[in-house]
Amino acid sequence: MDPKRPPFPGPPGVTRMPWMQSAEDQGQLPDQPPLGRARGLVLPKDEPLPGRGRALGVPGEMPVRFGRGITPSVSEPLVGIPRGVRLPTDEGGFGRARGFLLATPEPSVGIGRGATVRPVSTLDSEKSDVQEKMPELKTEVEAPGSGSSLVSMFRGLGIEPGKTWGRGATPVGISLGTESDCIRMRFAVCVCSVLGRGFVGVGRAALPPMSVGRGPIGPSGPVSPVAAPFSLQSAASVSEEAPVLPGTPPKVEVKIETVKEPLQKIGTKGSPVSIGSNYIPICCKNEAVFQYHVTFTPNVESVGMRFGMMKEHRPTTGEVVAFDGSILYLPKRLEEVVHLKAERKTDNQEIDIKIQLTKILPPSSDLCIPFYNVVLRRVMKLLGLKLVGRNHYDPNAVVILGKHRLQVWPGYSTSIKHTDGGLYLIVDVSHKVLRNDSVLDVMNLIYQGSRESFQDECTKEFVGSIVITRYNNRTYRIDDIEWSKSPKDTFTLADGTVTTFVDYYRKNYGITIKELDQPLLIHRPKERSKPGGKVITGEILLLPELSFMTGIPEKMRKDFRAMKDLTMHINVGAEQHTQSLKQLLHNINSNNEAVSELARWGLSINLSLDVLNLKAPISFSHIALPVYCICLHQVPLNCWAVFYPRRATDQAEELVTTFTRVAGPMGIRIERPIRVELRDDRTETFIKSIHSQLTSEPRVQLVVCIMTGNRDDLYSAIKKLCCIQSPVPSQAINVRTISQPQKLRSIAQKILLQINCKLGGELWTVNVPLKYLMVIGVDVHHDVSKKSRSVMGFVASLNSMLTKWYSRVTFQMPHEEIINGFRVCLLAALQKYYEVNHAFPEKIVIYRDGVSDGQLKTVELYEIPQVLKCFETIPNYEPKLAFIVVQKRISTTLYSYGSHHFGTPSPGTVLDHTVTNRDWVDFYLMAHSIRQGCGLPTHYIAVYNTANLTPDHLQRLTFKMCHLYWNWPGTIRVPAPCKYAHKLAFLSGQYLHSEPAIQLSEKLFFL
Amino acid sequence: MCLMRTHSRADLTKTLAMTTPFSPPLYMQRYQFVIDYVKTYRPKKVIDFGCAECCLLKKLKFHRNGIQLLVGVDINSVVLLKRMHTLAPLISDYLQPSDGPLTIELYQGSVTEREPCTRGFDLVTCVELIEHLELVEVASFSEVVFGYMSPGAVIVSTPNAEFNPLLPGLRGFRNYDHKFEWTRAEFQTWAHKVCRDYGYSVHFTGVGEAVGHWREVGFCTQIAVFQRNFHDTMSNAKRLEPSVYRLMYRVVYPSLSDNNIYQRTLVNEVLYEAQHLRQEWLSRMNMDSSNNAHFCAPPLMDVFQHGLEGGTRDCQPVYQQGGTICVPLARVWSSPRVRALCGSVQRLREELQVDSRVRMSADGTVLILPAAADDEDDEEVEEEENVKAVSGVANNVEEDWDRELGCYGNV
Repeated sequence: MDPKRPPFPGPPGVTRMPWMQSAEDQGQLPDQPPLGRARGLVLPKDEPLPGRGRALGVPGEMPVRFGRGITPSVSEPLVGIPRGVRLPTDEGGFGRARGFLLATPEPSVGIGRGATVRPVSTLDSEKSDVQEKMPELKTEVEAPGSGSSLVSMFRGLGIEPGKTWGRGATPVGISLGTESDCIRMRFAVCVCSVLGRGFVGVGRAALPPMSVGRGPIGPSGPVSPVAAPFSLQSAASVSEEAPVLPGTPPKVEVKIETVKEPLQKIGTKGSPVSIGSNYIPICCKNEAVFQYHVTFTPNVESVGMRFGMMKEHRPTTGEVVAFDGSILYLPKRLEEVVHLKAERKTDNQEIDIKIQLTKILPPSSDLCIPFYNVVLRRVMKLLGLKLVGRNHYDPNAVVILGKHRLQVWPGYSTSIKHTDGGLYLIVDVSHKVLRNDSVLDVMNLIYQGSRESFQDECTKEFVGSIVITRYNNRTYRIDDIEWSKSPKDTFTLADGTVTTFVDYYRKNYGITIKELDQPLLIHRPKERSKPGGKVITGEILLLPELSFMTGIPEKMRKDFRAMKDLTMHINVGAEQHTQSLKQLLHNINSNNEAVSELARWGLSINLSLDVLNLKAPISFSHIALPVYCICLHQVPLNCWAVFYPRRATDQAEELVTTFTRVAGPMGIRIERPIRVELRDDRTETFIKSIHSQLTSEPRVQLVVCIMTGNRDDLYSAIKKLCCIQSPVPSQAINVRTISQPQKLRSIAQKILLQINCKLGGELWTVNVPLKYLMVIGVDVHHDVSKKSRSVMGFVASLNSMLTKWYSRVTFQMPHEEIINGFRVCLLAALQKYYEVNHAFPEKIVIYRDGVSDGQLKTVELYEIPQVLKCFETIPNYEPKLAFIVVQKRISTTLYSYGSHHFGTPSPGTVLDHTVTNRDWVDFYLMAHSIRQGCGLPTHYIAVYNTANLTPDHLQRLTFKMCHLYWNWPGTIRVPAPCKYAHKLAFLSGQYLHSEPAIQLSEKLFFL
Repeated sequence: MCLMRTHSRADLTKTLAMTTPFSPPLYMQRYQFVIDYVKTYRPKKVIDFGCAECCLLKKLKFHRNGIQLLVGVDINSVVLLKRMHTLAPLISDYLQPSDGPLTIELYQGSVTEREPCTRGFDLVTCVELIEHLELVEVASFSEVVFGYMSPGAVIVSTPNAEFNPLLPGLRGFRNYDHKFEWTRAEFQTWAHKVCRDYGYSVHFTGVGEAVGHWREVGFCTQIAVFQRNFHDTMSNAKRLEPSVYRLMYRVVYPSLSDNNIYQRTLVNEVLYEAQHLRQEWLSRMNMDSSNNAHFCAPPLMDVFQHGLEGGTRDCQPVYQQGGTICVPLARVWSSPRVRALCGSVQRLREELQVDSRVRMSADGTVLILPAAADDEDDEEVEEEENVKAVSGVANNVEEDWDRELGCYGNV
């Protein structure tokens, strides 16, 4: 519920929108006046008395958050209830409430009930006329996981009108037209949401009677015992106060947040296996966490001062508090309203502090997670671990690689999350590579190597890398280098004094700068506002001499042996991984301070790893696997050219002969190539001769270049020429890979397969039994230095065999993950599909890579509408769509577990419960086989699914797609189209810096 | 008896900031005074009473100037617990261990108690502390600090009551927890008595001067610096008394004075340098003999030609001997980093000869590194033939998801 979120641009429609938010949020028309929610009350007006009675009869119970109610039995009562409770408790604008009464053509009973209904006076006046007529339908439900559920809904309305009011227009439309009963209308909405989510039978959810029947027993889950008394109490207290005079300050009602019901996401196929994960259950001893709203009168602007004043009242609040300046969380219950006094030190003004209970949260509520994580960070510190970036590392277990002047710090990344299975501590083993070299040291080395291109080399080396400063533990990303400045330059401190860098470091840290002529490093922090509303902008200048390099040096990355030294320490196996985890758990639980720190919020962490969720995920042994190393379709190689420098003549000859030898058995016809020997291996020589060859012989199907050494510039130039200027498939081969005679045969085979793909040939496939299916892969490549634009790679299947692929690329502005060019690509792909199949695809499955959890909403609200709009441009075309987000960089690790021994799970292992996300239909799939390191599954989130693919289908389809990457005879981590899109985006962003020629779009030229 | 120095500090600064702005702020000037003192007199063991949020300790840890032991004492354990982690070594302290040792300890305790481990210090600082003590306690404070601990020097700072009229809006003391605020005369009387009683000499100064004709009221904060007049005789005295302070935090900084760390750092530098020289030599060899001979055995040359002719003592050549590459110690020694770590070649040789990570020739003039090990396990990284995991058995179960979906939709 981000207020800044762009309005949903797509067409309104029940079937489209509802999956995204809870019921209230559905279907908003951008141009519609923001008054959605309230409209519903019109219905109850004409509604027969019993119906109304029913609706309001429920309220005595606990208000429950609607959640995404898929399980019909529970979702129903939830719907009715919260409304009921809220109604009586809302006070304020009494006058308006009266207006409502007058306007209601209802029998007296209804009016009697209505009398307690008072809309809140904080609403904007232009909306109030609507509001007053129909307070009832407002805000039963909050968007799951939204930040705004903090406060009472009514305050929410008043404070963020655009946000809360904007939605809900469409459901009103439906309800007006089709429903006559309040409950049933809620139902319609509910059904919609089910449809949207798509995994549950519609019929099941849509049985209206259920709501009433289930009402009383509805809410279940851990909170109910706590919740019930509170809600009753608050309801009661309100009814006593019912005749509030006009002008009484609005009273905020207390809400109780309950646990949402899980979504239907568990597959049924496959055989169960024992599995462990790095999710460690956390127990909450607290029954509830209480949320209070704190107001200062007269207002105190400074957040710091607010903190100070609250601190003085620790005797009242207790020592355990979480306070952000206006919202206060306590593990204990205070009086409904507490008034405190404080004195503003600056002007001795007496400040009245009002602490008002707003909400009772289950201890596992999403709202509590942030401060649990703060507690966790403190615990890690207590264990003596050092914070570097976001993770904690152990200085006492450092591995020093003296040969490379670097250190590997082992440590942990930890976070607390609330998943389908409850509250978990997620621990991942992390390693930080720190270097003994300062940036200045490396600069000196570069200077020795190349004086003339020194500045360029430095920019290449440093921009985008992370440094850690000598005088604190902070890490900074280098965004630029300021060559015109030196430590002798001055800057202005926060208090206005001007000082040189040399003086500053001498005075504050006792550090003497040795090199006075070094340039300065620039870090540009992301613009963000601090809690106080202060916006952080501008640049931070750092001294190279005082900045240590972190991460693996680029030079070392290319050095296979050095990397082996390093990865030996970094890639820990499952056994070692679990060992480290156990060690951490042991350390936490044997440290009294750490245990009591956690206990402040009633938390405790399970000691043993053995109690991991050893339930039953699913292994796909039954899927028909493809037979690799066969060619489905071979493209004869009639006319091709090989370019090589004189030094590599022998290797080139050898390769060509081997090609002809191995081609026969593979069924590929291959002619003798045009051989071009170059007098040297300079880039211009290559480019010139390739260009002249291509112009003189336009029939050339393929360009093969044999290069000496790892040369990015040459590679880039060749690819630019062959992908943009004179489009032709090209194959670059490093002379080193073909220099070993004993391996040449198998290497030639592989290269030939790759060439076959590049020419439009086909290798193997899997059978996906869906007709007219199109599978699309999307990935975005960001340049590390963030200087150039981001590139989106788009790859779509064109045939039912999933062997023909159509690919496109679009460039977009930096810092922009959103796919703006998606439309263009998709339309072109649909057109191409039509040309090939003479029909449009009926089902489209989109795998979208590189979306973080925080961006899921953006995808849902921005990207999917773009996709849907595309379909509208084709008359009478309404394909089914499944949009699946693919996340590779996650901290989840899976272990196979057998005979008290942790290993890596086998390919095809699916985990679709317990550790999954409560807000989405998602699953974890381990598709690849692991040779070293740990089992890192890939996370798939079905953000949208009108194709009604069941969890089983999604899981199986995804695993099958992981088989189809033709560069690798086996399974890979992500679905093949994603990998293709990644390759394409990487090539375009890293080497081409431009869109490849359209002529190549039907070939996998980027492999 | 409450050491709430922070409060008074913060409040005072706030008040002053509005009217008599000291720049830099007064509390900073007080710290700077201590830092300057440390810089001049270079005490090895420093103790700060009433360290509260450890701001001064944090500054001193940067401006070490030879401090080896830094102790903070406060009566309030909560603040200590809260802030103690700010005194932990930084990551850079591990990356580049400092030359001298440093240990930081935090104790919960009171200045009026006799704690044996506080004896034998070179400097004791009591910044804005004594005014928080009752006058009776000041006497026992003097006895404990000067009589019992008898450190080499003591710095005591306290507000100057004569300055108070210049602080606008100030009624009474500068902080509600102040038990007294002395004039210069009162402060000096106390100080002189201490000197007489315990054998110290004192001089007075301060920070925060008023401008113009107000100068005569003196510094806003008055400071007394005491120097012990006799030689320390007790630092070696046995501490038989029981400890009364509670140790809250103790951290030993990594430093080169720790033999293990020194050895490790040195060996790493040497190995890095030797590896670098070896690599350089190998690539030059490759250049010269790159006649497709990558996979032939490297030519057996006992001495690498290039260096021999021009062979000055500084530039002894790297050479190959059998399966090993020999790097002369003198070449390694020429690295400034190695030089900085140990003063002479002899020392370097001795250090390396006892280390198992380094292989040296018998006479200790040459480091021996393995020769061309590069090709031995130069396996393919990316794409191994790992097809065995995939069985060619195709399961012939008929699947039709469309039908399944259709059924599902009709439910």
